[in-house]
Amino acid sequence: MPTIEVEREDLELLLGMKLPESIEEIDEILSFIKGEAKHIDEKEIHIDVKDSNRADIWGVEGIARALKGILGIERGLKRYSVVGGSGVTVYVDPRLRDIRPYIACAVVRDVNLSDAAIRHIMRFQDKMDQTYGRGRRRTSIGLYDFDLVKPPLRYTVSKPDEISFVPLGFEQEMTLAEILEKHPKGIEYGHIVRQFDVWPIFIDSRGKVLSFPPIINSNDLGRVTIETRNILVEVTGTSYKTVLYTLTNITLALADRGGKIYSAIINYPYEDLGEVITPNLETEKICVNINYVRKIIGMPLGIDEIIDLLERSRYGVSEIVGDDIVVEIPCYRPDVMHPIDVVEDIAIAYDLNKIKPRWPQISTIGGLLPESRLRSLIRELMIGLGYQEVLTFTLTNKTVLFEKMNIPPERVIEVANPKVLSMTCLRSWLLPSLMELLSHNTHVEYPQRIFEVGYCVLPDEKQPNRARDVEKLACVTIHSEASFSEIKSALDALLSNLGLKYRLEETVHGSFIEGRVGKIIVGGLEEVGLIGEINPQVLENWGLENPAAAFEIDLSKIWKLIKIK
Amino acid sequence: MNLRENEAKVLIALRDLGGKATIESLTKTTRLADAAVMRAALSLEAKNLIRVSERSVTKFSLNEEGRRYAEDKLPERQLVEMLIKMGGEASVDDVFRAASMDSGLATIALGWLIRKGWARMESRERRIRVLGNPEIGSDERLLSMLKVAGSLILENLDDSLKEAFKTLKGRKLLIVREESTKEFELTDEGWALLNRGIEIVEEVTQLTPELIVTGKWREKKILKYDIEAPAPRVWPGKKHPYLRFLDEVREKLVALGFKEMNGPIVEISFFNCDGLYMPQDHPAREIHDMYLIKDPEYGDLSPYMAFLERVKETHENGWKTGSKGWGYKFSLLMAARLILRSHTTSVSVRTLISDDLEIPGKYFAIARCYRPELMDRTHLSEFNQVEGIVVGEDLTLRDLLGILERFAIDIAGADKVKFRPDYFPFTEPSVELSAYKEGYGWMEFGGSGIFRPEVTLPLGIDVPVLAWGLGVDRLFMMRAGINDIRYLFTHDLDWLRGKEMI
Repeated sequence: MPTIEVEREDLELLLGMKLPESIEEIDEILSFIKGEAKHIDEKEIHIDVKDSNRADIWGVEGIARALKGILGIERGLKRYSVVGGSGVTVYVDPRLRDIRPYIACAVVRDVNLSDAAIRHIMRFQDKMDQTYGRGRRRTSIGLYDFDLVKPPLRYTVSKPDEISFVPLGFEQEMTLAEILEKHPKGIEYGHIVRQFDVWPIFIDSRGKVLSFPPIINSNDLGRVTIETRNILVEVTGTSYKTVLYTLTNITLALADRGGKIYSAIINYPYEDLGEVITPNLETEKICVNINYVRKIIGMPLGIDEIIDLLERSRYGVSEIVGDDIVVEIPCYRPDVMHPIDVVEDIAIAYDLNKIKPRWPQISTIGGLLPESRLRSLIRELMIGLGYQEVLTFTLTNKTVLFEKMNIPPERVIEVANPKVLSMTCLRSWLLPSLMELLSHNTHVEYPQRIFEVGYCVLPDEKQPNRARDVEKLACVTIHSEASFSEIKSALDALLSNLGLKYRLEETVHGSFIEGRVGKIIVGGLEEVGLIGEINPQVLENWGLENPAAAFEIDLSKIWKLIKIK
Repeated sequence: MNLRENEAKVLIALRDLGGKATIESLTKTTRLADAAVMRAALSLEAKNLIRVSERSVTKFSLNEEGRRYAEDKLPERQLVEMLIKMGGEASVDDVFRAASMDSGLATIALGWLIRKGWARMESRERRIRVLGNPEIGSDERLLSMLKVAGSLILENLDDSLKEAFKTLKGRKLLIVREESTKEFELTDEGWALLNRGIEIVEEVTQLTPELIVTGKWREKKILKYDIEAPAPRVWPGKKHPYLRFLDEVREKLVALGFKEMNGPIVEISFFNCDGLYMPQDHPAREIHDMYLIKDPEYGDLSPYMAFLERVKETHENGWKTGSKGWGYKFSLLMAARLILRSHTTSVSVRTLISDDLEIPGKYFAIARCYRPELMDRTHLSEFNQVEGIVVGEDLTLRDLLGILERFAIDIAGADKVKFRPDYFPFTEPSVELSAYKEGYGWMEFGGSGIFRPEVTLPLGIDVPVLAWGLGVDRLFMMRAGINDIRYLFTHDLDWLRGKEMI
């Protein structure tokens, strides 16, 4: 979700009207373009744009374009056109095919950018590079003073030490390799090209470097100031569609500030791609059925009303054929993939808060999963036995699960990108979570008796997701006289109330005292858990000074046994 | 004067304790329960034999940092020991490194070292030198006393330890509580009575089975109780307050006709993302971050091949959904990537492809979701969502808003609701629900929408599916008046025990 900072005065200039003062009123207006006013001061408005698929409104020009419709300042499709050819041809080197194959260019003439406008264009460019361009990997944008450039241009490759030029913000010439080494942008984005033997370079007919895409522009040609009148816009990248769309977006932003758009010819050497003219500002059409609109929104909208709402959403209405409206989609809206996208815009322009909520007129029978009913029974029994229910995280770490519990580590499900060292894997058993909780409560009045019913997750190669969720119950009693017989009484009460017969089988387990630990066998066969007195080593590991006894049961096995009965 | 058995015991104990004692020492001496001592004392007071007064005491124990110091010694002690080990003099940086302290702790340690006069700093060379043999201070003594005793009463300490208390409190190592305790003192009349000598007359305090069976109870006098005397405190077993709230939410959803659904915690990206028309290399995939599984990295999608093929085509060119699609080359491998479920919507996808799906139908899930976020007052890396879908012919945006309104008002107890356009790659239209409650103001509850045709059609569903996923944690916080989300998973047993159920 991109956050966009716009200057109030600049936005008002683009809109041609004053905005309200209060953040609430501005927020209200912005809600119609899925924006939220996060912060507002005398100069700036900070907007969270929720729609991560509408790059056209990640800049102030696009926001103004959309708001003009909502506010009724301008309606219908805003038509952009290419005034003519710029005379620029770009020759693409076939060696770029596997490096950074695509480029698109446009020239915008007669611009007269204020400082604020330049700042905004730069911010928009950066927002596009970061999000849509995936940190310049997929696309990156370059702007140049066209009057300093001598076409035709070549988008070609260079060895790291072959070409040198003065990068933006520096005074001395550097080779491409040096730029990756020393220039802040080289350090930041160098990883995109470093893996290749030759790197992309964009040069003019005199061999003057325009830029080293996607790293940095030249300090001579690639600098736009308030004096710049004619701008060459270039986008390079790995995705053809995204390159074209990014060019459209940045070109339109300049056009909204009074520029006139001229096209360039891109000469590709690839088998499937020859000569292409960019930018492509053609609109597409989509057929939206009136009944579909009504069926989705659930309101009896009239056709004139729908047309009005479409125009306020800045669509064009080409013609009406029976119940179908042929809608013209602006060239900057590739997010419109399906008629449903148009329907949403109609609903938004109508105002969601004007739609009357209705409880669905379908009759269904509700119900809980069988596990949920059984889980309630078990919790009820544990509470009846005087145990306090607790709730802990399923994410934990191996120290808690194994080391502190005095047992050898087992395979557990680990995450590849942990955020903190205490949360690196999913728990495979529940008792450690309870011991951890007790360790934070040594100052609290004893006896302490706690339990949790919670999920543990175990690796399981047989499952498509290679894991199995296992719901478990663990309980601990800890106080100066806690003993095996106390916890066994609890287990006894629990299982007999579930109608299950069980026996204990002696076993050895590092977390429990030898000779005071048993496997819980239910129905003669199935091992469902462990019961015992906690090993003093484990108590010491957790900083506990009272004896404790505990049991842990695999409830997924209990569910099955109860179902069988 | 006629004294009851316990009264006599208390009186004698009080004499043995020098005529003045607290309730703690009396219970220890008489071996009677708190309540029994209190009862006896109150009737002795009524007979003018003792005076009962209330005294407030300061009880304190170590907090977590304090416990750590009690365990590892105070940082300045660690530092000075290290310094001595290093020959009594060293550069500041060397000794910090040798003591392996982080810079924050090291600065504290150094400050105290100087303040206690254990060492001198040659500031020009940044060297420190030990001065004499640093003795164990009263603060360290108090620390070790606390380590053994758990908690202490300030008023019982001698002056040097009282000073030490101030120091440790100032260093924020203590948890301090004011408590009141009862104190008892013999009156002159009490002394006089004891001097005359009293005898302990046996009385029936507890009715026994024997007395009942033999009928002897008729001949005995059963002791009168002070029924207003305090009884010992017990902690009942209780549900966790948040889980009890979730039970209520479940109950209400079932009453509204929703069936419960379930899905796995470790998910295949296909269910969490791709099946929801979230493009693979696009900002729309990153509406939030996800935890990735370390090993194995990929799951098995072969059981879902039919769906997978259609989803792939839908992403690439729209398939038969009437959509253009995202228009990129879909990676089957990426769809197989294993992750931790990042939203409950993955459960809805599983329900939609299930053979048991009923149309029309309403389904819900309350499930744990995972996102790699740093935890703070409003974020957890592990949290709960309540998710619902309503599947059926003729469902519209109006019905979606109806469900949201009902949920906010009936379940969350909100006064009114507001809707805002929202964005999710899998719903269109998408709606954000905000609810208003007197005293809380407006609060965002989560997102909702109608599943896109690009989601439902490849999964074999050709009727509208309304979907909502709300932050149930926030609902509970609003209800329980909690303003820190971390409290939902609190380790604070006192809070759990003490939290009212209403």
